[in-house]
Amino acid sequence: MRLLAAAGRFAYFLADFARAMLRRPPPAGAVLEEAYRIGVRSLPVLLVIAVFVGTNLSLQGANAFAPLGGQRLVGMFVAMAGVREMAPVIAAAMIAAKAGTEMASQIAVMRIREQIDALEVMAVNPLWHLVAPRLLGIVLVLPALTILAVFVTLLASLAVAVLQLGQSGAVFLAQARSAITVADLVFCMGKGLAFGVIIALVSCFFGFHAGRGPEGVGRATNGAVVTVSVSVVFLNYLLSAVFYG
Amino acid sequence: MTATLALLGRIAAFGGRIAVATARGRVPPGELAAHLHTVVLRCLGPVLAVVFPFGMVMALQGLQIFRLYGAERLISPFVAAAIIRELSPVMASVLVAAQGGSSFAAELGAMRIKEELDATDVMAVDSVAFHAAPRALALLVACPLLNLLGCVSGILGGYVSAVWIEGEPAGTFRSALWDMTTPLDLVASVTKTTVFGAIIGVLSCFLGFHAKGGAAGVGRAVNDTVVWSVLAFIAANYLLTSAFFGGGTP
Repeated sequence: MRLLAAAGRFAYFLADFARAMLRRPPPAGAVLEEAYRIGVRSLPVLLVIAVFVGTNLSLQGANAFAPLGGQRLVGMFVAMAGVREMAPVIAAAMIAAKAGTEMASQIAVMRIREQIDALEVMAVNPLWHLVAPRLLGIVLVLPALTILAVFVTLLASLAVAVLQLGQSGAVFLAQARSAITVADLVFCMGKGLAFGVIIALVSCFFGFHAGRGPEGVGRATNGAVVTVSVSVVFLNYLLSAVFYG
Repeated sequence: MTATLALLGRIAAFGGRIAVATARGRVPPGELAAHLHTVVLRCLGPVLAVVFPFGMVMALQGLQIFRLYGAERLISPFVAAAIIRELSPVMASVLVAAQGGSSFAAELGAMRIKEELDATDVMAVDSVAFHAAPRALALLVACPLLNLLGCVSGILGGYVSAVWIEGEPAGTFRSALWDMTTPLDLVASVTKTTVFGAIIGVLSCFLGFHAKGGAAGVGRAVNDTVVWSVLAFIAANYLLTSAFFGGGTP
């Protein structure tokens, strides 16, 4: 029942937002500023995560395919699992944890300090002023961040395969190249785009509907990151099933 | 550099205080049980909801590889091994950090801002033992528990995807399920998540405990909790995976 009410509020939120966007183009300067902030601030965290996703894919791949005599399969497994699923999803989860929670807590703080009401009083649409730049900013940078995460993941798994597991780098690369097509990479960026839309809209929604006091801010931030992670993984399955199934 | 080292030292000291309070039996069991109950209930839905589709995706993508070699019967052991060794521990812990760890950071942060923690200390009750330690221990216990439930949900997801959607025979899926998995894998999975739970517990309570600067500070503590605990346990994951599975196994 509460879930249904929240879904209804989210639908209203989306409708209001769409109306605000249609009436007036979003502020370009603010969009670029948000894009820069989301992109650059999340970069170190994203790179670290991508490295460890890669190292573990390599270790687990080598382990899982050992009974098949499949040392050769590691490159293929890493390329397929990393490019198609792991790198985009983990990158999105990390951006949700870093940039998404920041959006939710910033907007929630504005809400409890009544700055959002102040904007409305000044006849500035808060959805246009606060949500639009964040949404467009994340949409601009997330495909690029995703592809970067894919690249770093592959590099890290190559390093582990060669240095730690003692495999041939040339075989790994040849296998990896045979498993990935350009369509995979483009689709992977498309996933990043879709995840970016979810991260921005859901995080801003939670911020807008924050409850009172410091707990309200905490709870909004918390709810945003969990809802985003769950919906990203679900959407990922749907997209993969449509594209590869 | 020195500032980072000092911060690491403070986090270690905080973890030490929690460990000492636990060893001396000063953690109230009622509090521990209450927090364990909330954290498991709060995280259960998200963990199941995330690992299930991941199992489905693994089966979907795994079948693509195995069909090339005509080895479709390997799909169920592959899904079981991938879920138990790597995916469920990592995804369940991400969700425990995002849901459990961050909500504890938010609670403790709000208590710090409202000076409730200082009030506890003034009443000669050790605020670390009373407020932080039960939460950290609850996360340490909840993480492996939720991971096991996540494993079940992920394998079910693989079953749904492979048998119902892709039309692989159900009997083969069930009979081949444990072909690649050994008891060591289960031990590794539980050990990993216990360590991850400890990392999430100490970091989230530390950051909540030291929140400052009003409501915005609570938001920042929650944000930092998710980011830093995920980074920390992913790095630990690489070391643990290397110790259990890596380095020169055939």
